[in-house]
Amino acid sequence: MNVEITEVTRRFGKTQAVAGVTMQTGAGVFGLLGPNGAGKTSLLRMMATVIPPTSGQIRLLGRDPSAYPQRRQIRRRLGYVPQQLGYYPRFTVVEFVEYFALLKEMPAGEVPRAVATAVERVGLGEQAKAQLRTLSGGMLRRVGIAQAIVNEPELLLLDEPTAGLDPEQRVTFRALLRELGQRATVIVSTHLVEDVGAACGEVALMDRGRIVFQGTPDELTARGEGTTAAGDAPLERGYSAVLAQARS
Amino acid sequence: MMPEREPFASPVSAPADVDLGRVWIGVAAEVWRRRPGALERLAGRLLRSPGLSRALVTTPSLLTGWILATAMVLSAGVLATRITGTPFVALGAPAIAAVGIAYAYDPGVDPAWELASTMPISDRMVLLVRALAVFGLNAALGLVASVASGVALAVTFGWLVPMTAVCALALAAATITRSANAGVAAGLAGWVITVLAAQATAGRMSTATTDPVLVVPYLAFAAGCVAAVLYVSRAPRGTS
Repeated sequence: MNVEITEVTRRFGKTQAVAGVTMQTGAGVFGLLGPNGAGKTSLLRMMATVIPPTSGQIRLLGRDPSAYPQRRQIRRRLGYVPQQLGYYPRFTVVEFVEYFALLKEMPAGEVPRAVATAVERVGLGEQAKAQLRTLSGGMLRRVGIAQAIVNEPELLLLDEPTAGLDPEQRVTFRALLRELGQRATVIVSTHLVEDVGAACGEVALMDRGRIVFQGTPDELTARGEGTTAAGDAPLERGYSAVLAQARS
Repeated sequence: MMPEREPFASPVSAPADVDLGRVWIGVAAEVWRRRPGALERLAGRLLRSPGLSRALVTTPSLLTGWILATAMVLSAGVLATRITGTPFVALGAPAIAAVGIAYAYDPGVDPAWELASTMPISDRMVLLVRALAVFGLNAALGLVASVASGVALAVTFGWLVPMTAVCALALAAATITRSANAGVAAGLAGWVITVLAAQATAGRMSTATTDPVLVVPYLAFAAGCVAAVLYVSRAPRGTS
């Protein structure tokens, strides 16, 4: 298992963002669904080693991120796209991706080829030398994805990765996710149910800091069958049904 | 995004055993490759880390515009010192350095801070390398300006120790509050209070930089601030 989380909590002052989450996942695309404020981003940030848990245990890629040497090893094999990805406006696409490749301690000789590969994979070859300040929101999102995959990560964490992408880009992005999920563990936090249905092999639904459902998208869909739950698509109805049941 | 890119609609077909995608990536890697400057190459050799050297040369307060601004302010200080006899360079250098140190690295200054904080090269290492580089550069510029202003030897070198203390204060405040502006405010306020206190007690502002009695307190204060920085920037321990 690449991700093993046991009874993890995270508190910010008096707010309990994550309230005892246990989950495991291996290679493949794992969707983390839930309404705003459910705790998805906090859970993802703990997996990205940005913040430590208040209690509980996390093991990533078979290592304990609370110990510095192991955390460093994890980070070399990690890709992360935060919800609010900041940019250096005067960097070009290539410079930005290269910067993070170097910070990921990739061998310097391998960096140019890895950067070119990542930039091409997200379809930004024609903008490779463009400054970030000149790019659209969707292109910037793809730059963020490029830096995340530049080191061929074994664990890829994406927080709302399709925000700002147009429908065509989202379809292509899902294909990229499926391709990456063949070798790595890809965890996608999103509130867009259709992303999960199209790309994820497994899904967890969070609400109020807890996981209230974990299974396949088909199983989530089945939870909505025969109910009056809100939603335009079967998966949305399953989502709504599980949330309604968790809150009742 | 093009996970299955087929961009080569060329009228000339490639031999069957040539993977044009791989060829293109090789060409793109060479064409897009950024050539590090001499300073970055030197830093890379000294630090033995291309990532750390890249982080160093992107320090906001080490960019050309910032350095030029620092040099201009110090030049104005040289002129003012020569005209009035008041050691403006010695009094200004610690404050200028403190501002540079506060802007060396913090979440508010670095737009990609969250991303950078997930990298194997730790925030603390980037912070320390940048802070040392900014301090060294400001000390060098200050010394040149101080010598050029033609003041007494005690004044020329006297501000180095208080500068250490003021920079450490700015660094600690910026690190603890995660705000460069808070670091600037703390550094400037600390230095202004010190200078005014010297004026009030000894009748001369320059006493803040020349009184040997103050050396030990300055250094002790700097050590305390550095300890605070190291404590605050320590790696997460799994709980908080």
